[in-house]
Amino acid sequence: MNVKLKFKLNGMSKTDEMEPNQTLCDYLHDVAGTTSVKKGCDTGECGACTVLLDGMPVTSCLVLAPQVDGREVVTTEGLGTKSAPHPVQREFVEKDAVQCGYCIPGMIVTMSWILDHMPGASDVEIKRLMSGNLCRCTGYLEQIEALKAARKKG
Amino acid sequence: MKSFQYLAPIPPFDYVAPKTLSELFETLGSHGKELQILAGGTDLMIALKERIVAPRIVVDLGRLRRELGGIAVKNGVLHVGALATFSQIESSPFVARYANALLQAAANVGTLQIRSIATLGGNLATASPAADSAPPLIALGATVTLTSGSGQRTLPVQSVFAGPKRNGLRAGEIVSSVEIPAKEEVRSAWTRSAVRNENALSTVSVAVASAIQDGRFGPSRVALGAVAPTPILAERACEAMEGSEATADQAEMVAALAAEDARPISDIRASALYRKRLVRVLTKRLIMQIISESMAP
Repeated sequence: MNVKLKFKLNGMSKTDEMEPNQTLCDYLHDVAGTTSVKKGCDTGECGACTVLLDGMPVTSCLVLAPQVDGREVVTTEGLGTKSAPHPVQREFVEKDAVQCGYCIPGMIVTMSWILDHMPGASDVEIKRLMSGNLCRCTGYLEQIEALKAARKKG
Repeated sequence: MKSFQYLAPIPPFDYVAPKTLSELFETLGSHGKELQILAGGTDLMIALKERIVAPRIVVDLGRLRRELGGIAVKNGVLHVGALATFSQIESSPFVARYANALLQAAANVGTLQIRSIATLGGNLATASPAADSAPPLIALGATVTLTSGSGQRTLPVQSVFAGPKRNGLRAGEIVSSVEIPAKEEVRSAWTRSAVRNENALSTVSVAVASAIQDGRFGPSRVALGAVAPTPILAERACEAMEGSEATADQAEMVAALAAEDARPISDIRASALYRKRLVRVLTKRLIMQIISESMAP
């Protein structure tokens, strides 16, 4: 049985109708066109599919699409644009914090939350908060440098 | 260890998100085993993908956050709604004041992304022997309120666990809240051992709650996770601790008894013998921590 859905995606109101047996991750990437949302492990371990749900970072592969009815979803697309990037996006470019790039949208979403909600986080706290975003190529150091630069420059 | 490939989509089901409690209990009453309840979803989504469950209907509690969520202190009791997330629990000043062990456990569950949606009620209802919220709640003497269309009942937290991944809920019943005695004088602490610091199941987890007065332990409880088919109260350890002198020697004795109370198995994470050693080390560490905090000005 189809369910109806009305929610906010990157600040815009969106309505849709769907079979309920799909994850928010698949819906955002395959249907809604927000292709920054990547499916990595599909088990909530890797963080590539991280989005903000009502302001909190969540792995969208562990959310059923119909659960977001009446709620607000923000993906990396909603944080900034090419001409007006989010400070974390800008510093990822500055610090060369990207290699293959698959984990990056999820990392940026989590780091935007840290920037807003844990502005005084120490290096150890940043590493703890980022433990749900796995990267197989960079070694994480550049991303943490990028976050700290974004925090400093705003 | 099996590896998972989700080639096929999750099998179809009907999705219902009741907007009132009466609507919820009506739905729960009219469906039996073909129904699964969705709270935070961090366990259910995996079970759906791995075909561990194949419900005909999924009932989402998400519209009932007001009725089943929230953290408040009333008449000397700390109430934590079943839908309170671990993020909300770890940042609650009430939890910090009255249930430090629960705060420490909540802050260590999964990852930031998991804590944002995973709920206390869901953690209990999943009934994993390694459920990190259970030892703190058992040590703090918490009770669980179970609600159905025909009424409510209250159980000690350990009674909600019937066996590994098996809860003691009746058909049509949900975990609606957890009640923790809010006692200023009780100090509590939790710790665990795991194969890595973040995002790992606990190999062993321990929680201790005690009120130290005039150099002696008052009512005290030691609870253990991941060392028996369910989280347990270490009864011999509790008996030995209560009323005894708050010293390092006594802590060592209580910790040794806690290790005897543990009934661990050997599995992929650790051997039974190693788990018993961990219980002893971690229990002593927590008791010493509580003693030193009590002596601090």
